Amino acid sequence: MPVSVDYVARETASNLWRNRLMTIAAVLTVAVSLSLVGTSLLLRQGVAHATTQWQHGVSVAVFLKPSISDSQEHSVRQQLDQLPYVQSCLYRSQAYDFNEATHLLSPDEAQALTVASTPSSLRCVLNNPTQAQAIAKQFDGYPGVKAVDSPNQAIRNMESVTHILQLVFLILAVILLLSASVLILNTIRLAIFARRREVSVMKLVGATNWFIRLPFMFEGVVQGLLGAIVAALVVVILHLGLDALGNGQTTNIWYQMRLPTHEVVATSLLVLLVGVLIGSVGSALGIRRFLDA
Amino acid sequence: MISFENVTKDYKGGTVAIRDMSVEIDKGEFVFFVGSSGSGKTTFIRLLLREEIPTHGRILVAGRDIANLSQWRIPYLRRNIGCVFQDFRLLPNKNVFENVAFALEVIGRPKHVVAAQVPQVLDLVGLSKKRESLPSELSGGEQQRVAVARAFVNRPLILLADEPTGNLDPATSQGIMRLLERINKTGTTVVIATHDAGIVDQMRRRVVELDHGTLVRDQARGVYGYGT
Repeated sequence: MPVSVDYVARETASNLWRNRLMTIAAVLTVAVSLSLVGTSLLLRQGVAHATTQWQHGVSVAVFLKPSISDSQEHSVRQQLDQLPYVQSCLYRSQAYDFNEATHLLSPDEAQALTVASTPSSLRCVLNNPTQAQAIAKQFDGYPGVKAVDSPNQAIRNMESVTHILQLVFLILAVILLLSASVLILNTIRLAIFARRREVSVMKLVGATNWFIRLPFMFEGVVQGLLGAIVAALVVVILHLGLDALGNGQTTNIWYQMRLPTHEVVATSLLVLLVGVLIGSVGSALGIRRFLDA
Repeated sequence: MISFENVTKDYKGGTVAIRDMSVEIDKGEFVFFVGSSGSGKTTFIRLLLREEIPTHGRILVAGRDIANLSQWRIPYLRRNIGCVFQDFRLLPNKNVFENVAFALEVIGRPKHVVAAQVPQVLDLVGLSKKRESLPSELSGGEQQRVAVARAFVNRPLILLADEPTGNLDPATSQGIMRLLERINKTGTTVVIATHDAGIVDQMRRRVVELDHGTLVRDQARGVYGYGT
Protein backbone atom coordinates (compact mmCIF):
# COMPACT_ATOMS: atom_id res chain seq x y z
CA MET A 1 0.00 0.00 0.00
CA PRO A 2 1.24 3.47 -0.73
CA VAL A 3 2.69 5.48 2.11
CA SER A 4 3.11 9.04 0.98
CA VAL A 5 6.57 10.54 1.33
CA ASP A 6 4.95 13.81 2.30
CA TYR A 7 3.13 12.15 5.21
CA VAL A 8 6.25 10.40 6.54
CA ALA A 9 8.34 13.57 6.26
CA ARG A 10 5.72 15.66 8.06
CA GLU A 11 5.22 13.16 10.88
CA THR A 12 8.96 12.62 11.33
CA ALA A 13 9.70 16.33 11.48
CA SER A 14 6.99 16.97 14.04
CA ASN A 15 8.09 14.01 16.18
CA LEU A 16 11.71 15.19 16.13
CA TRP A 17 10.66 18.68 17.14
CA ARG A 18 8.35 17.46 19.87
CA ASN A 19 11.20 15.43 21.44
CA ARG A 20 13.97 17.82 20.62
CA LEU A 21 15.90 17.44 23.89
CA MET A 22 15.99 13.66 23.63
CA THR A 23 16.80 13.98 19.97
CA ILE A 24 19.79 16.21 20.72
CA ALA A 25 21.02 13.75 23.36
CA ALA A 26 20.72 10.83 20.96
CA VAL A 27 22.37 12.70 18.10
CA LEU A 28 25.29 13.82 20.28
CA THR A 29 25.89 10.34 21.64
CA VAL A 30 25.91 8.92 18.13
CA ALA A 31 28.23 11.73 17.05
CA VAL A 32 30.74 11.14 19.86
CA SER A 33 30.77 7.38 19.51
CA LEU A 34 31.08 7.42 15.75
CA SER A 35 33.80 10.08 15.94
CA LEU A 36 35.77 7.66 18.10
CA VAL A 37 35.17 4.86 15.63
CA GLY A 38 36.21 7.10 12.74
CA THR A 39 39.29 8.40 14.53
CA SER A 40 40.41 4.94 15.48
CA LEU A 41 39.99 3.77 11.89
CA LEU A 42 41.94 6.76 10.63
CA LEU A 43 44.65 6.13 13.19
CA ARG A 44 45.00 2.51 12.15
CA GLN A 45 45.13 3.37 8.48
CA GLY A 46 47.53 6.23 9.15
CA VAL A 47 49.94 4.08 11.12
CA ALA A 48 49.75 1.30 8.55
CA HIS A 49 50.42 3.88 5.89
CA ALA A 50 53.38 5.43 7.68
CA THR A 51 54.80 2.02 8.55
CA THR A 52 54.73 0.78 4.98
CA GLN A 53 56.24 4.06 3.87
CA TRP A 54 59.13 3.60 6.23
CA GLN A 55 59.45 -0.02 5.40
CA HIS A 56 59.31 0.61 1.69
CA GLY A 57 61.69 3.47 2.20
CA VAL A 58 64.79 3.02 4.20
CA SER A 59 64.84 -0.04 6.38
CA VAL A 60 68.44 0.27 7.34
CA ALA A 61 70.90 3.10 7.31
CA VAL A 62 74.61 2.34 7.36
CA PHE A 63 76.43 5.46 8.51
CA LEU A 64 80.00 5.84 7.28
CA LYS A 65 82.75 7.59 9.18
CA PRO A 66 83.70 10.95 7.67
CA SER A 67 87.24 9.61 7.59
CA ILE A 68 86.39 6.54 5.51
CA SER A 69 88.71 5.78 2.63
CA ASP A 70 87.51 5.16 -0.91
CA SER A 71 88.47 1.51 -0.84
CA GLN A 72 86.67 0.92 2.46
CA GLU A 73 83.56 2.60 1.12
CA HIS A 74 83.75 0.55 -2.04
CA SER A 75 84.03 -2.64 -0.01
CA VAL A 76 80.97 -1.78 2.11
CA ARG A 77 78.91 -1.00 -0.96
CA GLN A 78 79.93 -4.20 -2.68
CA GLN A 79 79.07 -6.35 0.31
CA LEU A 80 75.68 -4.69 0.68
CA ASP A 81 74.90 -5.22 -3.00
CA GLN A 82 75.76 -8.88 -2.71
CA LEU A 83 73.38 -9.58 0.17
CA PRO A 84 70.34 -11.40 -1.23
CA TYR A 85 67.75 -9.57 0.89
CA VAL A 86 68.96 -6.11 0.01
CA GLN A 87 66.88 -4.66 -2.77
CA SER A 88 68.85 -1.51 -3.42
CA CYS A 89 70.98 1.05 -1.65
CA LEU A 90 71.12 4.77 -2.04
CA TYR A 91 74.16 6.85 -1.24
CA ARG A 92 73.54 9.99 0.77
CA SER A 93 76.38 12.48 0.79
CA GLN A 94 77.63 14.29 3.88
CA ALA A 95 75.95 17.47 2.68
CA TYR A 96 72.57 15.68 2.37
CA ASP A 97 72.85 14.08 5.78
CA PHE A 98 73.90 17.38 7.32
CA ASN A 99 70.88 19.04 5.84
CA GLU A 100 68.59 16.30 7.14
CA ALA A 101 70.18 16.38 10.59
CA THR A 102 69.64 20.10 10.98
CA HIS A 103 65.92 19.44 10.47
CA LEU A 104 65.77 16.53 12.88
CA LEU A 105 68.00 17.83 15.68
CA SER A 106 67.36 20.70 18.00
CA PRO A 107 69.14 23.97 17.07
CA ASP A 108 71.61 23.53 19.96
CA GLU A 109 72.64 20.08 18.80
CA ALA A 110 72.75 21.12 15.18
CA GLN A 111 75.14 23.97 15.97
CA ALA A 112 77.89 21.55 16.96
CA LEU A 113 77.57 19.83 13.63
CA THR A 114 79.40 20.74 10.48
CA VAL A 115 79.21 19.21 7.03
CA ALA A 116 82.70 17.81 7.47
CA SER A 117 81.85 16.06 10.75
CA THR A 118 78.58 14.55 9.48
CA PRO A 119 78.71 10.93 8.39
CA SER A 120 77.60 10.09 4.91
CA SER A 121 75.31 7.11 4.68
CA LEU A 122 73.95 4.24 2.63
CA ARG A 123 70.16 3.93 2.90
CA CYS A 124 69.11 0.45 1.97
CA VAL A 125 65.73 -0.94 1.02
CA LEU A 126 65.27 -4.56 2.07
CA ASN A 127 63.10 -7.23 0.53
CA ASN A 128 62.28 -8.29 4.03
CA PRO A 129 62.48 -5.53 6.63
CA THR A 130 63.00 -8.06 9.44
CA GLN A 131 66.50 -8.75 8.11
CA ALA A 132 67.63 -5.36 9.35
CA GLN A 133 69.05 -6.99 12.49
CA ALA A 134 71.32 -9.21 10.42
CA ILE A 135 72.76 -6.26 8.58
CA ALA A 136 73.31 -4.42 11.81
CA LYS A 137 75.28 -7.40 13.14
CA GLN A 138 77.34 -7.82 9.99
CA PHE A 139 78.42 -4.20 9.65
CA ASP A 140 78.82 -3.27 13.28
CA GLY A 141 82.50 -2.45 13.76
CA TYR A 142 83.30 -2.93 10.08
CA PRO A 143 86.20 -0.69 8.98
CA GLY A 144 84.94 2.73 8.06
CA VAL A 145 81.42 2.09 9.39
CA LYS A 146 80.31 4.39 12.18
CA ALA A 147 76.95 2.85 13.02
CA VAL A 148 74.06 0.83 11.65
CA ASP A 149 70.63 2.13 12.41
CA SER A 150 67.37 0.41 11.71
CA PRO A 151 64.12 2.21 12.37
CA ASN A 152 62.42 -1.15 12.88
CA GLN A 153 62.32 -1.03 16.65
CA ALA A 154 60.82 2.44 16.59
CA ILE A 155 58.15 1.24 14.19
CA ARG A 156 57.30 -1.75 16.38
CA ASN A 157 57.00 0.50 19.42
CA MET A 158 54.74 2.83 17.58
CA GLU A 159 52.62 0.01 16.32
CA SER A 160 52.09 -1.50 19.74
CA VAL A 161 51.18 1.87 21.22
CA THR A 162 48.67 2.54 18.49
CA HIS A 163 47.23 -0.96 18.86
CA ILE A 164 46.47 -0.29 22.51
CA LEU A 165 45.06 3.12 21.66
CA GLN A 166 42.87 1.60 19.02
CA LEU A 167 41.60 -1.06 21.34
CA VAL A 168 40.69 1.56 23.94
CA PHE A 169 38.98 3.69 21.30
CA LEU A 170 37.02 0.76 19.95
CA ILE A 171 35.85 -0.46 23.35
CA LEU A 172 34.76 3.08 24.22
CA ALA A 173 33.07 3.38 20.85
CA VAL A 174 31.16 0.13 21.27
CA ILE A 175 29.90 1.14 24.71
CA LEU A 176 28.89 4.54 23.37
CA LEU A 177 27.22 3.00 20.32
CA LEU A 178 25.18 0.74 22.59
CA SER A 179 24.11 3.68 24.70
CA ALA A 180 23.29 5.62 21.54
CA SER A 181 21.03 2.78 20.39
CA VAL A 182 19.29 2.71 23.75
CA LEU A 183 18.87 6.48 23.67
CA ILE A 184 17.33 6.32 20.22
CA LEU A 185 15.10 3.46 21.33
CA ASN A 186 13.95 5.57 24.24
CA THR A 187 13.29 8.65 22.10
CA ILE A 188 11.18 6.59 19.74
CA ARG A 189 9.25 5.14 22.65
CA LEU A 190 8.59 8.64 23.95
CA ALA A 191 7.46 9.71 20.49
CA ILE A 192 5.08 6.77 20.24
CA PHE A 193 3.83 7.33 23.75
CA ALA A 194 3.12 10.95 22.94
CA ARG A 195 1.09 9.75 19.97
CA ARG A 196 -0.55 6.71 21.49
CA ARG A 197 -4.05 8.08 20.82
CA GLU A 198 -3.26 8.49 17.15
CA VAL A 199 -1.63 5.08 17.02
CA SER A 200 -4.63 3.40 18.63
CA VAL A 201 -7.03 5.13 16.23
CA MET A 202 -4.80 4.16 13.33
CA LYS A 203 -4.91 0.52 14.39
CA LEU A 204 -8.65 0.74 14.87
CA VAL A 205 -9.42 2.04 11.40
CA GLY A 206 -7.05 -0.45 9.79
CA ALA A 207 -3.81 1.38 9.08
CA THR A 208 -1.14 -1.17 8.23
CA ASN A 209 1.66 -1.71 10.70
CA TRP A 210 4.14 -0.35 8.19
CA PHE A 211 2.16 2.81 7.80
CA ILE A 212 2.25 3.33 11.57
CA ARG A 213 5.86 2.23 11.91
CA LEU A 214 7.49 4.14 9.09
CA PRO A 215 7.49 7.70 10.50
CA PHE A 216 8.92 6.45 13.79
CA MET A 217 11.57 4.32 12.12
CA PHE A 218 12.46 7.22 9.93
CA GLU A 219 12.82 9.38 13.03
CA GLY A 220 15.43 6.97 14.42
CA VAL A 221 17.26 6.86 11.12
CA VAL A 222 17.38 10.66 10.97
CA GLN A 223 18.85 10.79 14.49
CA GLY A 224 21.48 8.18 13.63
CA LEU A 225 22.27 9.95 10.39
CA LEU A 226 22.59 13.40 11.98
CA GLY A 227 25.02 12.03 14.55
CA ALA A 228 26.95 10.22 11.83
CA ILE A 229 27.21 13.38 9.73
CA VAL A 230 28.82 15.19 12.66
CA ALA A 231 31.19 12.24 13.12
CA ALA A 232 32.04 12.16 9.41
CA LEU A 233 32.84 15.87 9.60
CA VAL A 234 35.16 15.15 12.53
CA VAL A 235 36.92 12.52 10.43
CA VAL A 236 37.38 14.91 7.53
CA ILE A 237 38.55 17.75 9.77
CA LEU A 238 41.02 15.41 11.43
CA HIS A 239 42.35 14.45 8.04
CA LEU A 240 42.73 18.08 7.00
CA GLY A 241 44.35 18.83 10.35
CA LEU A 242 46.94 16.10 9.80
CA ASP A 243 47.65 17.55 6.40
CA ALA A 244 48.19 20.98 7.88
CA LEU A 245 50.46 19.56 10.61
CA GLY A 246 52.44 17.68 7.99
CA ASN A 247 52.81 20.90 6.02
CA GLY A 248 54.38 19.14 3.05
CA GLN A 249 57.53 18.03 4.89
CA THR A 250 58.20 14.47 3.88
CA THR A 251 60.18 13.66 7.02
CA ASN A 252 57.37 14.78 9.36
CA ILE A 253 55.53 11.94 11.09
CA TRP A 254 52.14 13.62 10.51
CA TYR A 255 52.93 13.87 6.85
CA GLN A 256 53.74 10.19 6.71
CA MET A 257 50.47 9.31 8.45
CA ARG A 258 48.56 11.31 5.87
CA LEU A 259 45.92 9.27 4.07
CA PRO A 260 44.82 9.26 0.48
CA THR A 261 41.43 10.95 0.01
CA HIS A 262 39.63 7.78 -1.03
CA GLU A 263 40.41 6.14 2.34
CA VAL A 264 39.04 9.14 4.20
CA VAL A 265 35.89 9.06 2.07
CA ALA A 266 35.50 5.33 2.70
CA THR A 267 35.86 5.86 6.46
CA SER A 268 33.29 8.65 6.40
CA LEU A 269 30.85 6.50 4.43
CA LEU A 270 31.33 3.65 6.88
CA VAL A 271 30.61 6.04 9.76
CA LEU A 272 27.40 7.22 8.02
CA LEU A 273 26.33 3.63 7.40
CA VAL A 274 26.83 2.66 11.04
CA GLY A 275 24.84 5.74 12.08
CA VAL A 276 21.88 4.75 9.91
CA LEU A 277 22.12 1.19 11.16
CA ILE A 278 22.07 2.23 14.82
CA GLY A 279 19.13 4.52 14.16
CA SER A 280 17.03 1.88 12.45
CA VAL A 281 17.85 -0.89 14.92
CA GLY A 282 17.13 1.37 17.89
CA SER A 283 13.82 2.59 16.53
CA ALA A 284 12.74 -0.86 15.35
CA LEU A 285 13.25 -2.20 18.87
CA GLY A 286 11.45 0.81 20.31
CA ILE A 287 8.42 0.31 18.09
CA ARG A 288 8.13 -3.43 18.42
CA ARG A 289 6.41 -3.46 21.78
CA PHE A 290 3.74 -1.00 20.73
CA LEU A 291 2.73 -2.70 17.55
CA ASP A 292 2.28 -6.24 18.77
CA ALA A 293 -1.33 -6.64 17.77
CA MET B 1 -21.80 -11.73 7.60
CA ILE B 2 -20.71 -12.69 11.13
CA SER B 3 -20.74 -16.25 12.37
CA PHE B 4 -19.57 -17.54 15.76
CA GLU B 5 -19.33 -21.33 15.86
CA ASN B 6 -18.98 -22.78 19.37
CA VAL B 7 -16.61 -20.03 20.40
CA THR B 8 -14.97 -20.22 23.81
CA LYS B 9 -12.52 -17.67 25.11
CA ASP B 10 -10.83 -18.13 28.42
CA TYR B 11 -8.05 -16.04 29.85
CA LYS B 12 -5.05 -17.19 31.78
CA GLY B 13 -6.06 -17.77 35.36
CA GLY B 14 -9.18 -19.64 34.43
CA THR B 15 -11.62 -16.79 33.78
CA VAL B 16 -14.03 -17.84 31.04
CA ALA B 17 -15.10 -14.73 29.14
CA ILE B 18 -17.19 -16.50 26.51
CA ARG B 19 -18.43 -20.07 26.77
CA ASP B 20 -19.39 -22.17 23.76
CA MET B 21 -21.19 -19.38 21.96
CA SER B 22 -22.81 -19.85 18.56
CA VAL B 23 -24.52 -16.96 16.87
CA GLU B 24 -25.24 -15.99 13.29
CA ILE B 25 -25.66 -12.39 12.12
CA ASP B 26 -26.76 -11.76 8.55
CA LYS B 27 -25.82 -8.94 6.29
CA GLY B 28 -27.87 -5.82 6.98
CA GLU B 29 -29.05 -6.90 10.42
CA PHE B 30 -29.33 -4.64 13.42
CA VAL B 31 -28.44 -6.53 16.60
CA PHE B 32 -28.15 -5.62 20.26
CA PHE B 33 -25.85 -7.57 22.55
CA VAL B 34 -27.06 -7.02 26.08
CA GLY B 35 -25.93 -8.16 29.50
CA SER B 36 -24.43 -6.78 32.65
CA SER B 37 -20.77 -5.86 32.99
CA GLY B 38 -18.59 -8.93 32.76
CA SER B 39 -21.12 -10.82 30.67
CA GLY B 40 -18.69 -11.06 27.76
CA LYS B 41 -19.93 -8.26 25.49
CA THR B 42 -16.58 -6.56 25.27
CA THR B 43 -14.76 -9.82 24.67
CA PHE B 44 -17.21 -10.49 21.84
CA ILE B 45 -16.18 -7.20 20.22
CA ARG B 46 -12.47 -7.78 20.80
CA LEU B 47 -12.79 -11.19 19.17
CA LEU B 48 -14.52 -9.67 16.16
CA LEU B 49 -11.74 -7.09 15.74
CA ARG B 50 -9.23 -9.86 16.27
CA GLU B 51 -7.70 -8.13 19.21
CA GLU B 52 -8.20 -11.55 20.82
CA ILE B 53 -8.04 -15.06 19.40
CA PRO B 54 -10.69 -17.59 20.52
CA THR B 55 -9.51 -20.53 22.61
CA HIS B 56 -11.92 -22.84 20.81
CA GLY B 57 -14.30 -22.52 17.92
CA ARG B 58 -14.39 -20.53 14.71
CA ILE B 59 -15.27 -16.94 13.91
CA LEU B 60 -16.20 -16.15 10.34
CA VAL B 61 -16.45 -12.59 9.07
CA ALA B 62 -17.64 -12.24 5.47
CA GLY B 63 -16.96 -15.94 5.00
CA ARG B 64 -13.37 -15.83 6.25
CA ASP B 65 -12.06 -17.53 9.38
CA ILE B 66 -10.40 -14.63 11.16
CA ALA B 67 -8.45 -16.78 13.62
CA ASN B 68 -6.23 -17.92 10.78
CA LEU B 69 -5.68 -14.44 9.49
CA SER B 70 -2.00 -13.65 9.05
CA GLN B 71 -0.71 -10.64 10.96
CA TRP B 72 -0.46 -8.34 7.96
CA ARG B 73 -4.07 -8.96 6.95
CA ILE B 74 -5.58 -7.84 10.23
CA PRO B 75 -5.62 -4.16 9.19
CA TYR B 76 -7.65 -5.11 6.12
CA LEU B 77 -10.17 -6.94 8.32
CA ARG B 78 -10.50 -3.81 10.45
CA ARG B 79 -11.15 -1.65 7.41
CA ASN B 80 -14.36 -3.64 7.00
CA ILE B 81 -15.44 -3.07 10.59
CA GLY B 82 -16.19 0.46 11.74
CA CYS B 83 -15.96 0.98 15.49
CA VAL B 84 -17.63 3.34 17.92
CA PHE B 85 -16.88 3.44 21.65
CA GLN B 86 -18.38 4.85 24.78
CA ASP B 87 -15.48 7.30 25.17
CA PHE B 88 -15.59 8.51 21.52
CA ARG B 89 -11.79 8.25 21.07
CA LEU B 90 -11.42 11.40 19.01
CA LEU B 91 -8.07 13.11 18.54
CA PRO B 92 -8.26 16.28 20.64
CA ASN B 93 -5.88 18.36 18.53
CA LYS B 94 -7.70 17.73 15.26
CA ASN B 95 -10.95 19.35 14.25
CA VAL B 96 -14.08 17.46 13.17
CA PHE B 97 -13.14 17.31 9.52
CA GLU B 98 -9.56 16.23 10.28
CA ASN B 99 -10.70 13.56 12.71
CA VAL B 100 -12.87 11.95 10.07
CA ALA B 101 -10.34 12.51 7.29
CA PHE B 102 -7.62 10.88 9.43
CA ALA B 103 -9.40 7.51 9.16
CA LEU B 104 -9.13 7.68 5.36
CA GLU B 105 -5.62 9.16 5.22
CA VAL B 106 -4.04 6.46 7.34
CA ILE B 107 -5.35 3.71 5.10
CA GLY B 108 -3.75 5.47 2.16
CA ARG B 109 -6.84 6.90 0.46
CA PRO B 110 -5.91 9.64 -2.02
CA LYS B 111 -6.69 13.29 -1.26
CA HIS B 112 -9.56 13.61 -3.73
CA VAL B 113 -11.34 10.64 -2.14
CA VAL B 114 -10.94 12.24 1.29
CA ALA B 115 -12.21 15.57 -0.03
CA ALA B 116 -15.29 13.89 -1.51
CA GLN B 117 -16.24 11.41 1.22
CA VAL B 118 -15.70 13.39 4.41
CA PRO B 119 -18.26 16.17 3.67
CA GLN B 120 -20.72 13.51 2.58
CA VAL B 121 -20.51 11.57 5.83
CA LEU B 122 -20.50 14.77 7.92
CA ASP B 123 -23.72 15.66 6.16
CA LEU B 124 -25.13 12.23 7.05
CA VAL B 125 -24.40 12.68 10.76
CA GLY B 126 -25.61 16.28 10.67
CA LEU B 127 -22.33 18.05 11.48
CA SER B 128 -21.62 19.87 8.24
CA LYS B 129 -21.70 23.20 10.02
CA LYS B 130 -19.24 22.14 12.73
CA ARG B 131 -16.48 20.79 10.54
CA GLU B 132 -13.93 23.31 11.89
CA SER B 133 -14.74 22.71 15.56
CA LEU B 134 -12.41 20.90 17.92
CA PRO B 135 -13.83 17.96 19.90
CA SER B 136 -13.58 20.00 23.11
CA GLU B 137 -16.00 22.53 21.61
CA LEU B 138 -18.66 19.89 20.96
CA SER B 139 -21.32 18.32 23.15
CA GLY B 140 -21.10 14.62 23.99
CA GLY B 141 -23.74 13.75 21.42
CA GLU B 142 -21.92 15.71 18.75
CA GLN B 143 -18.64 14.03 19.63
CA GLN B 144 -20.26 10.63 19.29
CA ARG B 145 -21.61 11.68 15.89
CA VAL B 146 -18.06 12.51 14.82
CA ALA B 147 -16.98 9.08 16.02
CA VAL B 148 -19.78 7.46 14.02
CA ALA B 149 -18.79 9.50 10.98
CA ARG B 150 -15.20 8.34 11.37
CA ALA B 151 -16.28 4.72 11.71
CA PHE B 152 -18.53 4.93 8.68
CA VAL B 153 -16.57 7.15 6.29
CA ASN B 154 -14.80 4.16 4.77
CA ARG B 155 -18.18 2.43 4.15
CA PRO B 156 -17.43 -0.67 6.22
CA LEU B 157 -19.54 -3.83 5.95
CA ILE B 158 -20.05 -3.88 9.72
CA LEU B 159 -20.47 -1.11 12.27
CA LEU B 160 -19.62 -2.14 15.83
CA ALA B 161 -20.65 0.02 18.73
CA ASP B 162 -19.50 -0.68 22.30
CA GLU B 163 -21.81 1.16 24.71
CA PRO B 164 -22.27 4.04 22.25
CA THR B 165 -24.73 5.81 24.56
CA GLY B 166 -22.90 5.09 27.79
CA ASN B 167 -21.90 8.74 28.29
CA LEU B 168 -25.02 10.35 26.83
CA ASP B 169 -28.39 11.44 28.21
CA PRO B 170 -31.51 9.63 26.97
CA ALA B 171 -32.57 12.28 24.45
CA THR B 172 -29.12 12.44 22.89
CA SER B 173 -28.92 8.65 22.92
CA GLN B 174 -32.07 8.51 20.85
CA GLY B 175 -30.47 10.75 18.26
CA ILE B 176 -27.43 8.47 18.04
CA MET B 177 -29.66 5.41 17.68
CA ARG B 178 -31.59 7.06 14.86
CA LEU B 179 -28.29 7.78 13.17
CA LEU B 180 -27.18 4.16 13.52
CA GLU B 181 -30.54 3.08 12.14
CA ARG B 182 -30.02 5.30 9.11
CA ILE B 183 -26.59 3.77 8.57
CA ASN B 184 -28.17 0.33 8.90
CA LYS B 185 -30.59 1.24 6.10
CA THR B 186 -27.64 1.68 3.71
CA GLY B 187 -27.09 -2.08 4.07
CA THR B 188 -24.43 -1.93 6.79
CA THR B 189 -24.66 -4.58 9.48
CA VAL B 190 -24.90 -2.84 12.87
CA VAL B 191 -23.90 -4.59 16.09
CA ILE B 192 -24.37 -2.74 19.37
CA ALA B 193 -23.17 -3.94 22.75
CA THR B 194 -25.04 -2.12 25.48
CA HIS B 195 -26.67 -2.25 28.87
CA ASP B 196 -28.84 0.76 28.10
CA ALA B 197 -32.32 -0.72 28.52
CA GLY B 198 -34.00 2.43 27.23
CA ILE B 199 -32.65 2.30 23.71
CA VAL B 200 -33.08 -1.46 23.40
CA ASP B 201 -36.71 -1.35 24.43
CA GLN B 202 -37.39 1.51 22.11
CA MET B 203 -35.82 0.03 18.99
CA ARG B 204 -37.44 -3.40 19.18
CA ARG B 205 -34.70 -5.08 17.20
CA ARG B 206 -32.98 -8.43 17.54
CA VAL B 207 -31.56 -8.88 21.05
CA VAL B 208 -28.86 -11.36 22.03
CA GLU B 209 -28.35 -11.64 25.78
CA LEU B 210 -25.17 -12.83 27.39
CA ASP B 211 -24.79 -13.90 30.99
CA HIS B 212 -21.37 -14.79 32.37
CA GLY B 213 -20.14 -15.58 28.90
CA THR B 214 -23.06 -17.77 27.90
CA LEU B 215 -25.70 -16.89 25.34
CA VAL B 216 -28.99 -17.07 27.22
CA ARG B 217 -31.42 -15.44 24.79
CA ASP B 218 -31.66 -14.64 21.07
CA GLN B 219 -34.90 -12.88 20.29
CA ALA B 220 -35.99 -11.42 16.96
CA ARG B 221 -37.82 -8.30 18.19
CA GLY B 222 -36.71 -8.17 21.78
CA VAL B 223 -36.51 -5.84 24.70
CA TYR B 224 -33.76 -5.46 27.29
CA GLY B 225 -35.29 -7.59 30.04
CA TYR B 226 -37.41 -10.71 29.84
CA GLY B 227 -41.07 -10.49 28.90
CA THR B 228 -42.75 -8.47 26.23
